[in-house]
Amino acid sequence: MKVSFSEEDEHFRTEIAGWLQDNLRGEFEKLRYRGGPGDEHMYPQERQAWEQRLAEGGWTCVGWPQEYGGRACSIEQQVIFFEEYARAGAPGRVGHIGEGLAGPTIIAFGSDEQKAKYLPGIVAGTQLWCQGYSEPGAGSDLANVKTRARFDEARGKWIISGQKVWTSLAHESDYCFLIARTDPDSVAHKGLGFFLVAMDQPGVEVRPIVQITGTSEFNEVFFDEAECDAADIVGAPGDGWKVAMGLLGFERGVSTLGQQMQFQNELDQVVALARENGAAADPVIRQRIAKAHAELKIMRYNAMRMLSGQSGGDGSLQKEALIYKLYWASWHRSLGELAMDVMGPECEILPAAPYELSRLQAMYLFVRADTIYGGTNQIQRNIIAERGLGMPKEPRGNA
Amino acid sequence: MDFTFTEDQLLFQESVRDFLRNEVTPERIRASWESDSGREDALWAQLAELGLTGMTVPESSGGLGMSALDFVLLAQECGYVALPEPLVHTALVAVPALCDIGGELAEQWLPRVAAGEAKVVVGLEQNMLVEDAHVADLLLLQRGAALLAATPDQVSLRHNESVDPSRKLYAVDIDAAAAPVVEGEQAQRIVARALDHGALGSAAQALGLAQRMVDMSVQYTAERQQFGVPIGSFQAVKHHMANIAVRLEYARAPVHRAAYAIAHERANAALAVSHAKLAACEAANLAAKNCIQVHGAMGYTWEVDLHIFMKKAWALANTWGDAGYHKARVGERIFADGAVLGAGATF
Repeated sequence: MKVSFSEEDEHFRTEIAGWLQDNLRGEFEKLRYRGGPGDEHMYPQERQAWEQRLAEGGWTCVGWPQEYGGRACSIEQQVIFFEEYARAGAPGRVGHIGEGLAGPTIIAFGSDEQKAKYLPGIVAGTQLWCQGYSEPGAGSDLANVKTRARFDEARGKWIISGQKVWTSLAHESDYCFLIARTDPDSVAHKGLGFFLVAMDQPGVEVRPIVQITGTSEFNEVFFDEAECDAADIVGAPGDGWKVAMGLLGFERGVSTLGQQMQFQNELDQVVALARENGAAADPVIRQRIAKAHAELKIMRYNAMRMLSGQSGGDGSLQKEALIYKLYWASWHRSLGELAMDVMGPECEILPAAPYELSRLQAMYLFVRADTIYGGTNQIQRNIIAERGLGMPKEPRGNA
Repeated sequence: MDFTFTEDQLLFQESVRDFLRNEVTPERIRASWESDSGREDALWAQLAELGLTGMTVPESSGGLGMSALDFVLLAQECGYVALPEPLVHTALVAVPALCDIGGELAEQWLPRVAAGEAKVVVGLEQNMLVEDAHVADLLLLQRGAALLAATPDQVSLRHNESVDPSRKLYAVDIDAAAAPVVEGEQAQRIVARALDHGALGSAAQALGLAQRMVDMSVQYTAERQQFGVPIGSFQAVKHHMANIAVRLEYARAPVHRAAYAIAHERANAALAVSHAKLAACEAANLAAKNCIQVHGAMGYTWEVDLHIFMKKAWALANTWGDAGYHKARVGERIFADGAVLGAGATF
């Protein structure tokens, strides 16, 4: 146990803080505090330019091994990186799906050819990724994937047809990693393949989904005989579920720390508003803010405990990780309610027409999605009970 | 003791329910978002023809002479369809305020309201903005300790966008020409009653909104299949709906009790109204939260109608006094010197 940062780590902090201060200005000044969840539709081009600026400074993929272009930062340094990134108000990363999900999956399960082909573009911030898991009939029942992949011997390619949905950043992405059924007679998690598919081709169509915020971050993606090179299946046909589940572990990894710093920024904004409009004098509001503060600290300590477990290899990561999604999503949804109660009657009024929400109003609406995507609260509780506690599985029909 | 409604009240509710559910569809509401005023003269004329704009107008002025208690079930139905037209505002706020003011102003405007020829809106400082000022023929506006009556040519309006695209809100500036119609204690009394009437109308609509979200979600969870079965068969989903049902059923009695207190001008009407608004808006907010959850990601889309009702519930919870205001009112009453709260003080 050592809950502090070393001198070397503090030096690292000075370095990243200074770099951000020097670079988050000029053309990038307007990106401060923009492009996070609920705001991802804002400034996509500028944010990709920012991604490339980060790459020039060596600040993408900081936790990746050096052989793949990463910085091989320790867990502590990654924590510091995400803290300083959020503290500076640096924008939501358009490259986060590549850096946090696609890249680590390719590193863990991909071929040397795939590593050579895809990792440099992620590190350089030149190639963006999206995730093709959910389908209209495969939400909570994720294994109920209907998208098909058949190998065309003549063309030497995989041919992919089907529909994906709730795909973040699909319209900005160069590649999609997706799961599709390689064995047409299979059901559930058997007979799936994990594919790396180029988005810019005739067989791929992206349609934005308008959300209750009036903006679009999620999309529907239609694959109609889309092509995928024979070399772009990760693992063997039939391994898709194993690869996809391996990836979910990365999703709960170190990137959660950046998310928590964003939560801290939002909570800071709620506190500032409460001071400004007098809500801070209300003892009920004060208690709720104090509770939110305490719970956010719990999340941070546990994330660090979880990650240090990972680095120390005591094997405790998995069960702790099961709890995290339920906890943060529920916390964030409550923060939205708290923010509106702090705003009081003014929470009904939008800053501008047509339907332009303030940051806190957008947050209040967007957090409704947090308890749904990436496994609903109900699915999370089932996972905690069944995998964490070892309770009997719920009857789930015949599919 | 009788908490039931009369046969006539229930029959009227049924016919209004049928009319509203047939006419005020989500498609029509979405169409109204695209129009300039967001309001439809033809629909208002139909509501007038049904006697609804004159429900609470005295018979001597061409209305039906009904009370808040008679109207409360209809306000629930207005909530159920998320009616954009200012019917609840007219029947529960504007008409009672006009009656309270009385005299020439009431004589002049009440028959026109009953006939659907004129709209009257009330703007209280508690609400900051005035609903439907853009379609009003007469505005009754609180300014400090006075109540003013202004016609559209005497005011300038600034539109404010609401989180609920159906709500039309305006900041109203009054030109010097508009003179106070009531001042002092009488004005304060009218303003206080208008606030209670508005809060009651919001509470009743919240009940309807919650019921609508529940009905939509019960249907959706019976249709949507995952793991080879309807998701509504899972306990985790059922419990979400059951939790709303408990909160919603237990919010009905306070709302009806508040309508009774207002209709009979009971001394504790304000307390009953605060209780009703808190209970009903809490139920509607819980319904919104849980119904989005059981709709999964679909509940988060603009395309699915749920957000029409969710956003109205959100807006109504914060108008005519937000939760903090009404909780404070209940608290003051409980801690008042000599407060009688026990046996004999139920009503």
